[in-house]
Amino acid sequence: MVNTDRKLAAHLARRAGFGATVDELDRYVTMDYEELVDYFLEPGDTRYVDEDLIFRRHPNLHAQLTHNPMFWAYRMLTTNSPLQEKVALLWHGIFATAEPKINNYGAAVNQINMFRDHGLGTFDNLLIELSKDPAMIVWLDNQTNHKDQINENYGREILELFSMGVGNYTEEDIKECARAFTGWTLKNPEYMALMGAKDSIWPYGRIFWHFEYDANDHDDGEKTFLGETGNFNGDDVIRIIAKQQATSKFVARHLYNFFVADEVPVPSWEHVSPKDEKAIEILSETYMNSNYSIKEMLRVLFNSDFFKAARFTKVKSPAELVLGTLRFTQDFYQIDGADTSVYDVMEESGFMGQKLTNPPSVEGWHTGEEWITSGSLVDRVNFASRYLSDPENIGVDRMLTRVEQLVGKHDGPEQFVDACLSVLGEIEVSKETYESLMVIADHSYSVNLGSDQIDREAVVKIFQLISSSREFQLC
Amino acid sequence: MRYVKSIGLNSNQQRGRGFNHPYDIAFSSDERIYVLNRMYPQSSDGIRVQICDINDEWYGEFGHGPGYSNDKFLVPVCMVFDRNDRLYVTDESLNQIKIFDKSGELLDVWGANGSKLANLNGPSGISLDGEDHLLIVEQYKGVIKRIDLEGNLVSQFGGKGSGAGEFELPWGISTDKNGDIYVADWRNDRVERFDEDGNWILSIGSPGQAEGQLHRPSSVCITSSGVVVVADWGNERVQLFDTSGNFKSIIQGDADLSKWSLEWLDVNQDELSARKNSNLKIDELPDHLSTPYHRASQIEHIFWGPVSVKLDQKENLYVTEHSRHRIQIFENIESVVSA
Repeated sequence: MVNTDRKLAAHLARRAGFGATVDELDRYVTMDYEELVDYFLEPGDTRYVDEDLIFRRHPNLHAQLTHNPMFWAYRMLTTNSPLQEKVALLWHGIFATAEPKINNYGAAVNQINMFRDHGLGTFDNLLIELSKDPAMIVWLDNQTNHKDQINENYGREILELFSMGVGNYTEEDIKECARAFTGWTLKNPEYMALMGAKDSIWPYGRIFWHFEYDANDHDDGEKTFLGETGNFNGDDVIRIIAKQQATSKFVARHLYNFFVADEVPVPSWEHVSPKDEKAIEILSETYMNSNYSIKEMLRVLFNSDFFKAARFTKVKSPAELVLGTLRFTQDFYQIDGADTSVYDVMEESGFMGQKLTNPPSVEGWHTGEEWITSGSLVDRVNFASRYLSDPENIGVDRMLTRVEQLVGKHDGPEQFVDACLSVLGEIEVSKETYESLMVIADHSYSVNLGSDQIDREAVVKIFQLISSSREFQLC
Repeated sequence: MRYVKSIGLNSNQQRGRGFNHPYDIAFSSDERIYVLNRMYPQSSDGIRVQICDINDEWYGEFGHGPGYSNDKFLVPVCMVFDRNDRLYVTDESLNQIKIFDKSGELLDVWGANGSKLANLNGPSGISLDGEDHLLIVEQYKGVIKRIDLEGNLVSQFGGKGSGAGEFELPWGISTDKNGDIYVADWRNDRVERFDEDGNWILSIGSPGQAEGQLHRPSSVCITSSGVVVVADWGNERVQLFDTSGNFKSIIQGDADLSKWSLEWLDVNQDELSARKNSNLKIDELPDHLSTPYHRASQIEHIFWGPVSVKLDQKENLYVTEHSRHRIQIFENIESVVSA
């Protein structure tokens, strides 16, 4: 029974996940749309490839000695709760922490775990977890923020890039914020930071990090922050930040940018109005009315008309393109220790401009059309085309079989093209793109006229053409 | 039981002293330790066997990889010497067993369409029984194969599953002095004991983290007095049982700095100084970072990735840790059972 439009379900799956295969869509459309949104937001039993199996086959991932997000990729490629991973990607892009500075991949993995665990909770709690995160502490040098000599780096960024945005606080607020975070450090900070700075794996490999509060190094004096005065500690400061109207709009605009439509880069937000002020208003109100709940904001967002109308208005990030393509084409539940493909594709995402766990700066990646350059576009098209054109890939084989089922003996090229667009995730293309596809489909049909079976090579050719279309680069 | 010392130092170099994900060890008749350096296929080279001894002498290395030719390793897993000092190395991805003499010269290759053991499927653990037969674990089929030293199949037992005498992705294998066979039944979270003919006797352990429970055991060895030593890999510890499967003790690891480590720190005084100012013997961790994996990743002296347990001629216990790139050595294991 169909309860949700298939194209709308596919749209939600692209934004709240990495797209949906035909089998997944068959399941999704049996749910009411609101029910489907809830399914993404609260998936229940999360399953993904057994981490123990990953570790057995790849001991370098157990020890996290490789500077490559392969471990995270295995989970993104196999999870049945893709929104958790998309939310981790969201916060990873906002609270951008680059592993090559900290040189401790275990700390990077633990930070991603934290985004996954707390990313759908309340924003104030997320900021507290972020402030206690050892990777963030070392990334922004808070281990050198002492009560007798503050380092304002984290105090500045939590206001400027992580919560409120420029123009909503003073330089004095930054200093007071930094004072509140004195003593928020990690265990054995001197040695751990030194090992990180030297990229030292000696004598016995990496030692992962954990937060430590050093009361002796905390400035317990009175502070005035955003108009309030008290002997504030870090969590007090976060409580004050979280209730600001500016914070609600900042978070709302980030969610809109990530899940609805591409916005201008964050540094321009001070000067450029949101693309959809009404949408930001709705999300901002939800933030305030739900005790700063990200999950409730997303529930409103995914059920909104502005979301439903926003199909194919966002450029896929390299990670979305790479992981989405692989989820369509391959099975990663069986792992061979000699298989380096996941390592390789995450390098390819880097070549396309997004090396996960290595954002270009504390600002994260600039998104939208900035993902597309003449070089990256060739990489993106070649990547998708390569995987979608190989019938040996188990997912491609499934899609070919489905096309065979969808196209009847007496159907024409139009049904054939429609079937291909459908199995690739209900892709909606422009008139021009459609006509181009029809030219090739027409030719294939004339060559294979009278055949009882769909020519698989012709299907693969259409897959390749679709993967090189403008619409395939969008979600 | 007493911790004796650690051997090792992490090294990401393609050649030379130092380990990168050591996965198993084997002892030659002259008491040298052969260490399987697993490294990883993304590396350009460096998968090899290194030779050292308990006194930290390093004698050299042989083999290389990754690669698909007969002279290269791809995903090597376990090793054993026979009584003629021939070293057998399983490679689970090439579906092969490579045979070397103790100087590292390649003598033969079985498996992967070769004339011997052409259908070998994911070989992992390997051991020598009392009659000079090799016992080889085929992890994907869940089968134990008994092979003569010419590479001919003598017998086999087991099967895929979770019932008595069945396996899910089994790994390490060993025998006791009576010839009984013990298999680390990895995905079933137990060690299974069989008589020398492959008849199932009992299972040791059950899934979990409590004393006597196992999580993804990878290796097993048995002392002459009947202490069953299990690498409780997923729980980041080693557990001791008697041959009836009764729990006896846990070893968590107690490493100090090896000779190679001290030599490295001697020329990196900034890190030595920072170490001295640190407290690396951490006893409290945040709740969300208190799983066995997280504890092991943050506390340097305890086991992290205890993948292999082996006994030398004096029955000292060697625990190889792939994620700390070292081998911890313990003596007087029997005292645990007699106590």
